[in-house]
Amino acid sequence: MKATSNRGMQAMLILGALLLALPLAVHDTFVLRVLTEAIMWIGLAIAFDVIAGYTGYLNFGHGAFFGIGAYTIAILMMQANLPFALALPAGGLAAGLLALVAGFPTLRLKGAYFAIATWALSRAIQQLALTMDITGGPDGMRLTAFLNPQFFYYLMLITVGLTFALLWYLLERAPFGLKLKAIREDEEGAKALGLNPTKLKMQAFILSAVPTGILGGIYAYWITFIDPSSTLGDLVSDQAVVMVVFGGMGTLFGPAIGALLIFAFKTIFWAYLSDFQLLYIIILGALIAVSVIFIPNGLWGTLVRRKQDKIRPEHEIAAAVAPEEGN
Amino acid sequence: MELLPQALCDGILLGGIYITIAIAFSLTYGVMHVIDFAVGEWIMFGAFTGFYLNKLTGLDPFIFLPLIFVIYFGVGYLVQPVIHRVLSGTKGNPFLMGLVFTFGLAMMFRGLALTVFGFYSNSIPSMFSEGAFSFDRFGCSVTIPTVRLVGLVYALAITGVLHYLLKKTNFGLGVRALAQHKDAAGLMGVNSKRTGSYVYGIYVGISAMTGVLLGCILSIGAQMGNDYTIFAFFVVVLAGMGYLAGVPWAALLLGLVQSIFMIYFDPSHTLLAVFAILYLILLISPRGLFGKGV
Repeated sequence: MKATSNRGMQAMLILGALLLALPLAVHDTFVLRVLTEAIMWIGLAIAFDVIAGYTGYLNFGHGAFFGIGAYTIAILMMQANLPFALALPAGGLAAGLLALVAGFPTLRLKGAYFAIATWALSRAIQQLALTMDITGGPDGMRLTAFLNPQFFYYLMLITVGLTFALLWYLLERAPFGLKLKAIREDEEGAKALGLNPTKLKMQAFILSAVPTGILGGIYAYWITFIDPSSTLGDLVSDQAVVMVVFGGMGTLFGPAIGALLIFAFKTIFWAYLSDFQLLYIIILGALIAVSVIFIPNGLWGTLVRRKQDKIRPEHEIAAAVAPEEGN
Repeated sequence: MELLPQALCDGILLGGIYITIAIAFSLTYGVMHVIDFAVGEWIMFGAFTGFYLNKLTGLDPFIFLPLIFVIYFGVGYLVQPVIHRVLSGTKGNPFLMGLVFTFGLAMMFRGLALTVFGFYSNSIPSMFSEGAFSFDRFGCSVTIPTVRLVGLVYALAITGVLHYLLKKTNFGLGVRALAQHKDAAGLMGVNSKRTGSYVYGIYVGISAMTGVLLGCILSIGAQMGNDYTIFAFFVVVLAGMGYLAGVPWAALLLGLVQSIFMIYFDPSHTLLAVFAILYLILLISPRGLFGKGV
C-alpha cells in the first residue's frame, strides 16, 4: 500500500513538473488557452465532487458559485477599482458565504431538498444578475484586459494544483474524508459514532464552493467578458455533473479524468460542429443517463473495481484449493 | 387597490392548475422516493403534442386531452422500469443515482425539444380562448377568462379522480402502502415494480395534459419546462414532500404569489420571490407548511 502511494506521489510530482514546464515548449496561444480551460474544468469537477461524491449531496447549482466568484471579482475590479490580487480572495469568500447561506437550512434535510434548493438558487441568481444594474444585466460585464496567456496558465495550474493537494490531503489522508463518507453511507450511523453531520456537511459544502468561486474569478479576469449565460448559465452546472458522474463519484482522479475527457470532447465538438450546440446538450444528458445505468461508479470506479474483482477470486480459489492439497 | 380582487382571482385560477402538476409529482415522490427533474419537460412535451395535434386536425385541444393522457401514460409506463432499475441498483448510492438520472433525462429532453421545436413561443388556440366572464359588483370589477375557469374545473376533476383512485380502490391502497413502507408493502403482495410504473405513467400523463391547458392559458415554448419544474418543486416542498393533502393550499399560494408579482411588482422577480419563500420555509419548517412532509 505504501509503495503504491509513493509511486502515485512520484507520478503526480512528475505530472506537475511537466505541466509547469509546458509553457516553455508550447508557444501556440490557442493550445495554451485550451490547456488552461482544461485545468479549470478539472478544478471545478473535483470541487463539485467534494459535496456530491464524498458527501452524497448533489449540488445542481454549481454554476451559481462559479458565477458569483466571477461577478464578485468583476464588480470589485471595475466598480471599486481593487487590484486583482485583492479581489480574487473576495470571490472565494463570496462563494463560501453563499454556500453558508444556502446550506444552512438545506443540509439539515434529505439530499432531495438540497438538490432542489441549489437548483432553484442557481435560477434565482441568474435572474438577479439579469435584472440588476451593477451586473450589467443581460449585457454582462467587461473587465480590463490583461493579455498574458502564460500568467493565466500558471495561475490556473497553481490554484487547481493547490486545491487538488488540499482536497487529496483532507479527503484521502485526513479523517475528514472518512467522516464525509460515513455520512454518505449512513447518516444515522455517523451520528451514533458521535459525528455532527450538519456541521461536516456545511464544511464540505464550503470547501466545495470556495475553490469554485476563485476559479470563477480567474476565469472572469482571463476571458475579460462575463454575462449571465456564460458564467451563471446551466452549462457550467450541467458539465460539472456530467464530468463527475462519467468520471466516477467519490474519488478525486475520476472527476479529473472525466473533466479532461468531456472537455476534450467539447473542444472538438465546438470546433467542428459549432452549429449544433443543442446536440451537445442532448449528448451530455444522454451521457449522464447512460453512465448512471451502465457505469454507476464512473470510469475510474469501474476500472479500479474491476481490478479488485480480478484479484479476489484468485485468493478465494487459492484458499479453497489449499486444504484439498493437504489431504 | 382596485386590482386586488383581480389579482386574487387570477392567482386562484392559476394555482388550481398547479395543483394537478404538483399532486401527481408528489405522488410519484411518495412512491419512488426520487424527485423527477424532468417534470417540466413532460409538461412541455404534452403542450407541444397538443399544439401539433390542434394544427394537424383543427379540432379543439380540449378534445385531445384523453388521447394525450393515454399517449403519455404509455411513455411514462415504459420509462419507469429504467428508473426502477437505477433505484434498485446495488452499486453506489441508488437514490443519488436516481436523482442524477432524471437530471440527465431532463437535459436530454430540453435539448431535443429545442432542436425539434425551436426557440419560438406559441399558444394553442381553443374555443374557450375568446370568452370571459365579467363581474362588476360591490365596487370591484373582476374579469375571468373562460379558459382559466375551464382549467380550474379540469384541475378539480383530476384531483377528485386521483382522490377516488387513492382512497377507494385496491390500487390506491397499494400505492399508499408503498409510500408508507416499501418492503412491508412488498411482503403484503403489492407489486412495487408494476405499481410504480402505473403511478409514473399517471403522473406523466397528467403532467402532459396540464401542459396542453397551460398552452391554452399562457404560452408554450421549448424552454417552458424549467419554470414549471421550479413551480412543482416549490409546491411540493411547501406542502411537505409526499404529503398530498397539503398540495392544493401550496399550489394556490404559488398562484397568488405569481399573480400578485405580475400586477404589483416586477414580473421578472417572480423566481426570486419563489426562492425566498422556499428558503424561509426550509429554514422555519422544513417539513412544509403543515409539518407533515417526510
